[in-house]
Amino acid sequence: MSEPATSVRRAAVTLAAFAAVALALFGYGVWSSWPASGDELGRIVLIDSILPRGAVALVTGASLGLAGALLQRVLRNPIADPSTLGVAAGAQLAMTAATIYAPALMASAREPIAFAGGLASLALILGLSWRRGLEPVTVVLCGMLISLVAASLSATIILANGEYMMSLFIWGGGSLEQGGWQPTVALALRAGLATVAVAIVYRPLVLLGFDDSSARALGLGVTGTRLLALGLAVFLATSTAAYVGVIGFIGLAAPNLARIAGARRFAAVLLLSPLIGAILLLLTDGLVQLAAIDETEIVPTGAATALFGGPLLLWLLPRLRPSTPRTTAAEASPRRLSKPGAMLALVAAAAVLLGIAALFVGPGEGGWTIATGPVLEAVAPWRWPRILSAAACGGMLAAAGFIMQRVSGNPLASPEVLGISAGSGVGLAAVLLFVPEASLAVQTGSAVSGALLALLVVLGLAASGHFGPERLLLGGIAVGSLSGALVTTVIARGGAEGTQLLNWLSGSTQLVGPETALLSTALAVALIAPLPLFSRWFAVLPLGPGVSRGVGLSPSLANGVLVLLAAILTAVATLTVGPLSFVGLMAPHAARLTGIARPAPQLLATVLIGMALMIFADWMARGLTFPYQLPLGLFASLVGGPYLVWLLNRGAARRPA
Amino acid sequence: MITSSASGLTRRAFIAAGAGLALSPACTVPAAAASQRVAIVDWALLETCLALEVTPLAAVELVLFRRIAVEPAVPDSVVDLGLRGSINLELLSGLRPDVIYGSSFNLWANDLLSRIAPVRMLSVFERGVRPYRKAESAMRTMAAELGVPDRADAYIAALDSELAATKAQLAARTDRPVLIINIGDPRHFRVFGEDSMFGEVAARLGFRNAWGARTSYSATAPVGLEALAKVPEAIVLVIAPIPPDAAAALPQSALWNAMPPVREGRVHMIEPVNPFGGLPAARRFARLFAGAIEAAA
Repeated sequence: MSEPATSVRRAAVTLAAFAAVALALFGYGVWSSWPASGDELGRIVLIDSILPRGAVALVTGASLGLAGALLQRVLRNPIADPSTLGVAAGAQLAMTAATIYAPALMASAREPIAFAGGLASLALILGLSWRRGLEPVTVVLCGMLISLVAASLSATIILANGEYMMSLFIWGGGSLEQGGWQPTVALALRAGLATVAVAIVYRPLVLLGFDDSSARALGLGVTGTRLLALGLAVFLATSTAAYVGVIGFIGLAAPNLARIAGARRFAAVLLLSPLIGAILLLLTDGLVQLAAIDETEIVPTGAATALFGGPLLLWLLPRLRPSTPRTTAAEASPRRLSKPGAMLALVAAAAVLLGIAALFVGPGEGGWTIATGPVLEAVAPWRWPRILSAAACGGMLAAAGFIMQRVSGNPLASPEVLGISAGSGVGLAAVLLFVPEASLAVQTGSAVSGALLALLVVLGLAASGHFGPERLLLGGIAVGSLSGALVTTVIARGGAEGTQLLNWLSGSTQLVGPETALLSTALAVALIAPLPLFSRWFAVLPLGPGVSRGVGLSPSLANGVLVLLAAILTAVATLTVGPLSFVGLMAPHAARLTGIARPAPQLLATVLIGMALMIFADWMARGLTFPYQLPLGLFASLVGGPYLVWLLNRGAARRPA
Repeated sequence: MITSSASGLTRRAFIAAGAGLALSPACTVPAAAASQRVAIVDWALLETCLALEVTPLAAVELVLFRRIAVEPAVPDSVVDLGLRGSINLELLSGLRPDVIYGSSFNLWANDLLSRIAPVRMLSVFERGVRPYRKAESAMRTMAAELGVPDRADAYIAALDSELAATKAQLAARTDRPVLIINIGDPRHFRVFGEDSMFGEVAARLGFRNAWGARTSYSATAPVGLEALAKVPEAIVLVIAPIPPDAAAALPQSALWNAMPPVREGRVHMIEPVNPFGGLPAARRFARLFAGAIEAAA
């Protein structure tokens, strides 16, 4: 008997076992709610709640499995799925916004709204990563960033409009609870349509597995086929989001499990993925119901899928084929300044001026005013800690982003994807859940522990791959997804702790008192000051491990030290301004754009730009909707996001064909 | 002093008039109440303060308060301090309050708030503690501190007699237990159990809680729609707001329509009430509750 045949058989047995457990759990549910004869109500509960719940699990799982298989094929990316690509988060944002701002539309056009949101975020992600040839790690990085922004925007909208909080909580957690057959039928219809469409484009899809030029040589509308398949995947994923809620990771897991089970050809993956997806979701939902206490499910099904999805992603990492060779010392400056001193002074002056403006000019009950005299004395004690800590955190995130981009050679790397901030969220969630009366100090301590734990896991993963940049980024993404799911689970419970977590998620400097501000400034100085000592590493590392070794630098040692520094910088900043800002992503790009090329001055420019960006963001977050305050991190990302898109596309346009 | 009239309009008008008086120098309000500049960063305490006819200087998230808690009406002079989770400290400090009232919900802001003025913590809601008595003692404490202890006594006495009167009025209808819920989405609701403020008020009106003693998750975690089947005999009281998509989808839900309370017309909607409110919320709930039960008869 040949080796592959054995492994296929083993896989088939495993799959059958999973299916048996899933069906047994479902059967147990049916049995335990089987109505006594004459119990009309019990019969209806069975027919309109228990049975459709199983059916909807199967259909949703199959749809997501198919969506994942399509995405992974088209993008040639084994970790693509509706959740890693931000499709789910985009749909969630669109539906959250519609619930609040266009309730009538939401009641009548749930699905188109979800579809529009999902499609928009996918388009954004592909646009961002187009320039790097849709290289898998970059695509997923962009997906993570877009997901974070969308989640943070959703959190802000939910917080600012308390009425439908519970509805949005439930939906974000992803529940398979059913009250009739309509969603099942609707989803089955859509899955059927999508299957027909896939059958029609099946041959072109097979050819897409080869590289573009050979596919084109075979006379194929490469772009058209790709777009069609992407559209189908988004359609499948967003209709499940509209009818059921956010269910992550099934689309990631199913095709990968199919491949692990021995499916080599695309046809096999395409057939097995929906099957595996259906079984997985039925199994997960069965376990969720089994663990329920008194009608109340402890973990929403959607979040539960991430509990196995996160580890699966980690396990998949080593199996990921190395991506395109790195290009890049030389995401080079568009122009090089020979004497960067003047430019640096200019940037520094801008940061200082912004800080001064933010101190003196601000909103009050009668609109924006310049504060002087006694008014200034009154507002200054509240403004300067915020400005100072915004500057410190902006600087730290910018430095962390600079390090990440240099170490990974990936211009889209940023502190947000290290998984650290998500880890601190888990720490905070734990303390809010188990010790609701805990003091702020205890909360902070727990958040720091969470961040450190996440950091250790990510570093551990990266160390086993010699701190290779991909392992680091993907490890961060996996830890981030897992932590995100845990936080969602707590938020979905809907109590006061959920509101507090949402607050943290949207980020703010408002808790910063003078002591905290001074402390974070001291930490910023202490952590950033030694960075210029590593100038040579910053110059050499992006050239690749070969070059590094050639000049006598151990890449794993250098990467390890720098990543640790970046992680600490991120952890400190995150605790103050929340998990998201984009400053770490933007500042290094903006610094390159000034034309400062050598590592040490470029680092300095990066830090200064980070400070300026964050001061500006905090200023506007305080002022634009006065007296209501906007979340700082979110506001920073909204300022920076469009700029970043413009920057990257501009680069693409300039590049000679 | 306060009549036990069930009409919200009368009472609102009365309180508004009272608030006006409290500010007017000509009126014989005890000195402390007139001179204290009070800021409030918790909704239950905001209700309580307004019910004591003291108009605070500033309070949080008034836009949503006026929509969800509704009563007592907040005078226009009260400054909005922004979201409960994101209090505008700069604005608050500029108003120079003498005292800030907050609860454990604002624990996170305590350090900074206490730089502005002494912070008084009066929590109505604590895990594992029933809120009604705590709301009473919060009102008494606040009234004493604001120098108007008589008003708390009067309000509590009036509320007690109002509840007693309502109880007598509804006595004939207490044969069925009540299930008090919020609709979360077309498939979920959350229940206010015996240990919630609404549950306690219903109990004071002589009604059994259909959800029984399952109190560990009172009014937090969502429950699937099919749980309604376990309480077929109940009167279901749905507290607004209902999410628009649920309002559209529920009438088409086979499961919802099959539930005995729905089938037999025992589901009643009432206007929004703050589930984490103080005595004024309890009072508003009692009035809306009685109205719904009466109208159904």
